[in-house]
Formats: sequence, C-alpha cells, structure tokens
Amino acid sequence: MEDLRLEAKKKVLAIKDLPTLPQVLEEVSKLVEDPNVSTEKIAQVISKDQVLSAKVLKMVNSPIYGFPRRISTIQHALVLLGFNVIKGIIISTSVFDIMNTSMVGLWEHSLGCALASSVIAKKANLKDPEEYSVAGLLHDLGKVIALVQLPELKTEVEELVKKEDIPYYLAEKKVMGFGHDRINAWLVDYWNLPLRLKEGLAWHHQLGMAKHYPEVAAVVHLADFLTRVFEIGFAGDDQVSKLDGRVFKILKLSLSKFEEILDELCDEFIEISDLRPD
Amino acid sequence: MTQLEHVYPQACWNLFERGSRAIEFLFNNPPGLLLVDDSLQDIEPVELVGLFKSENVYRQVPVALILTEEKAKEIDFSLLEVDDFFLKPLNPIMAQKRLDLILSRAARALDANPLTHLPGNTSIIQKIQSLIEQKKHFALAYVDLDYFKSFNDKYGFSRGDEVLMMTARVIVNTIRSIGGKNSFVGHVGGDDFVFITDPDKVEQACQMIIASFDSIVPNFYDLEDRKRGKIISIDRQGQVREFPIMAISIAVIFNYGQLKHYGEASQMAMNLKKIAKKNPKSSYVLDRRKST
Repeated sequence: MEDLRLEAKKKVLAIKDLPTLPQVLEEVSKLVEDPNVSTEKIAQVISKDQVLSAKVLKMVNSPIYGFPRRISTIQHALVLLGFNVIKGIIISTSVFDIMNTSMVGLWEHSLGCALASSVIAKKANLKDPEEYSVAGLLHDLGKVIALVQLPELKTEVEELVKKEDIPYYLAEKKVMGFGHDRINAWLVDYWNLPLRLKEGLAWHHQLGMAKHYPEVAAVVHLADFLTRVFEIGFAGDDQVSKLDGRVFKILKLSLSKFEEILDELCDEFIEISDLRPD
Repeated sequence: MTQLEHVYPQACWNLFERGSRAIEFLFNNPPGLLLVDDSLQDIEPVELVGLFKSENVYRQVPVALILTEEKAKEIDFSLLEVDDFFLKPLNPIMAQKRLDLILSRAARALDANPLTHLPGNTSIIQKIQSLIEQKKHFALAYVDLDYFKSFNDKYGFSRGDEVLMMTARVIVNTIRSIGGKNSFVGHVGGDDFVFITDPDKVEQACQMIIASFDSIVPNFYDLEDRKRGKIISIDRQGQVREFPIMAISIAVIFNYGQLKHYGEASQMAMNLKKIAKKNPKSSYVLDRRKST
C-alpha cells in the first residue's frame, strides 16, 4: 500500500496538463481578447472553473514571482499576473475530449460548493469571503487529478461506490489507500498555495486536523454537505455527506443564522442550474 | 533544433513542436536560454517571444531565433526583444560558439534591478532625459512604501523582498493595462519605484495601483498582525511602538515641455513626495503647477 501511495503521488505531481470543460474556457478566451475588459470580469468567469482557478493560483504562487504562498483569491492573482500571463495560461489549457458526465457533475458540484462557502462565510461574519469561495471551488480538485493521472484506479473506485453503496471518499480510501483530500494536500504543497487554502482543501473531511484556519475547513465541510443536500451536481456518489456538528461551534453559527444560509442558498442555487454547460 | 542538441549536448534540452504547448511550461520553468524556430506552425515566433519577454520576471532569460535568410530580412530587431539569432542551415561550429556566447553574455550583469529585473537607475535617467529632450508630454510618478522599514525590521529582508516583488507586479500590470506610447516602469532600488504614463492617464493609474496594493498587502503579514491591522514591536529604548499596515505613496509631476533636465524632475518629485508621505494611508499627490 505504501508503495502504491508513493507511486500515485509521483504520478499526481507529474501532471503537466489539467484539462477543463470547453464552455468556461471559451468564455475566458473571448474576454482576454478584449483589451477593455476589466480584471474583475475575467476573475468572475475564471472563478467558475476549478481547473483554471487552480492554474492561476499555482502560477501566481510559484517562487518565480517572488511571493509564494501569499495569494489565495483569483482577483488578486489576476492583478499580479496581468493579461499577458492569463492569455498564456488560457492558450495552454486543453479541453476534455469526451464530455464525461461525471466531469460535468463534478464541475457543478464544485461551483455549488464555492457559492455555498461564500454565503456561509458572509453569514458567519468572516473576513474576505472570497477566500472561502476559492477553497470551496477547489475542494475536489484531487478528484479531477485522479481522473486524469490515475484513470485505472478511478474506475475501480466508481465500481466500489456502486457495489457497496458507500461514499466516494471511503471508496477512494479502500482502493487507493488515500482520498482526494490527500491528493489536494500534495498539490497544495507542491504548488506553494497558501496555508489557508491548504487547510480547506486537505481537511474538509477531518475538521480536527485544521490547526491554523479551522474556519476554512469548517466552511468547506458545511458547504460540501449543503451542496449535496440540495443535489447540485455530482461528486462521485449519491450520498449526503455526514455533517460534523463541530462546524456550528467553530463558525459560531446560531440556528437562525443557519436558516438564513439555507434560504439564501435556495435562491442562489437556482441560478447555478442556468450555468450548466450544454 | 535536434541538430543543436547534438552540437551542444552539455545543456539540458526541452523540445516542443507546438508553441502553444511550450508557453505554460516556459512560465513555470523559465529556461537558461529560449530558442525559437521560425518554422513553428501554431503561433508566430515573434508573438511567442513577445509574450515571454514582456514579463519582468522572465526578461533575464536570453532568447534566440532560428531563421531562414528570407525571414531574417523581414525582421526588425529594434522592435523585438530577442538577444540573438541563428541562420539556417546551421553551421555546427558556429552554432556551438554562438550558444557559448549567448549564455555567458546573459550571465553578465545588466542594469536591471537584481530583485525585480525592472530597469534600474541608468535606464530610468536615460528614459526621462530622452523624453525631456524630445519635448514629449508625460507624467512621471515616484512611488514608495510607508512603514516598509518597520515591516522589514519585524519580518526580515526576504519577507520584505516579497512585498517589493508584489509591488513591482502591481505597478507593471497597471501601467501596461493603461497603455500609452511612452509608458515605462523602473525600480530605483529598495522600496522606490518610478513610472511614466501619458498625463491624462496618470490619475487613473494612481488610483488603480493604490486599490490593488491596499487589498493585496495584508496577505504578506502573519495572521495575528493581519487581524490586528498593525505591527506591535518594542524598540531599543524598550518602548512599545505600533506601526500600521504598509501603504503606498505616489508623487506625480508633469512635463509639458517646460523641463530642461532630469535633475529638475527628480527634485520636484522629491519635494512632492514629502506631502504624499504625510498621509499614513495610501495616497497620491499631483503637481498642480502643471498648467503654468
């Protein structure tokens, strides 16, 4: 098992090209051709796609730019990278050839989770809700990577989910010995992403492990749960994840605040269904 | 290209047949030397070079083109940031020696600031003096950071350098997005930067730089200081002192043909900077005498 993990880690970190879905890529490509478009507008569109967002954050936090682990929002990343570099990233990004249904579902689930994270962070009066939204968006990035780099294992995981009717996360552990949260942790370290993103990406299934930014892990955990309750997208299984009651304590959320979150998500999630790529 | 690989086996080569595939690789792993063959199909070699060389962080990487004679005749090297070229068909000895030369030349120091690779003092003075002599209208801005020293004292120089790299990126990208024929960004040294834009665009540039800097700079502090919104430190006298989060100050002077010499410009700007510095928050001051 240890060998398998080392082997898998090598494969995961060797990823050269993270493909994405065509719709957002096309939209951003058009935007960057227009010299009058604002970085806010481009940031808004890139923030809808976990792969483009991950690429942009990886680039801006690379030691070449001189400030690794500092930048955790897309808006800041775009200001610091500039149009030129964004264009380069867009040109270099390829598209998934087959419009895999599980990919589309995962795209929607991630977007839903980003939105839920932002709503929760605002209601919990946390500073910079944008950062929580990025953590929500990227929380299942490990699943995309596994899809590309470890396709054989991926099929096995999916079959186990169906056969035993267990959560994807547990099936990953049974088949590979580690879950997508572990893949996230490897990537975050390798790409020099900030610690606050790491805690959200690596510990959204194990809240107790987030020592520095427990709020980020708690927000993503709750957002993941709510996105599944509302059945937005598909994250690999039909289960509603088990909710860890500690989130309410960590985020100091009262029942009435929680109800406000549910109300707001009801409205916001309707809009997401309009974004679904054809 | 494979021919060169044989001629120069001591280098670690990465070959790409398609330019578009190379771009992200280049941005993430800037090489010691970039060679671009003009037979690239999917992207204009000139465009590829422009994309790469216009980023300050990649400017120090030497770039050479591999050209046919016809193509070489067409190219205006005064407009293209390449450092050298090879003519096809390649002569092996020539190619080997030329590669040696390019690499050692690149290793020699430039005027560029060693941290940000932005143009340094010599280039800044030359640029301003040449604009003055051409009687060009321009706005010249001097930028520096407030409380940079106290940040450095608490967090150390390498954390300070991170802030300078960030500041350079904010200024460069803002000035580039605003455009203008004579736009220019230089790094005087330490936390002092200079930029030049068209007079009618400078106020917008100042506002954009301040907004970006103010929203990004808290990320460079540790969690506690970020929450507190200030640094608390004890000075040598044992006194507890507080320093606000860093801010950015910009002093702008204008030339409408009245300036005679670079020294005049820098003197005016220095005086103006004292006014901008009085405000502990990020601020800019425009030289209102511009119309006289």
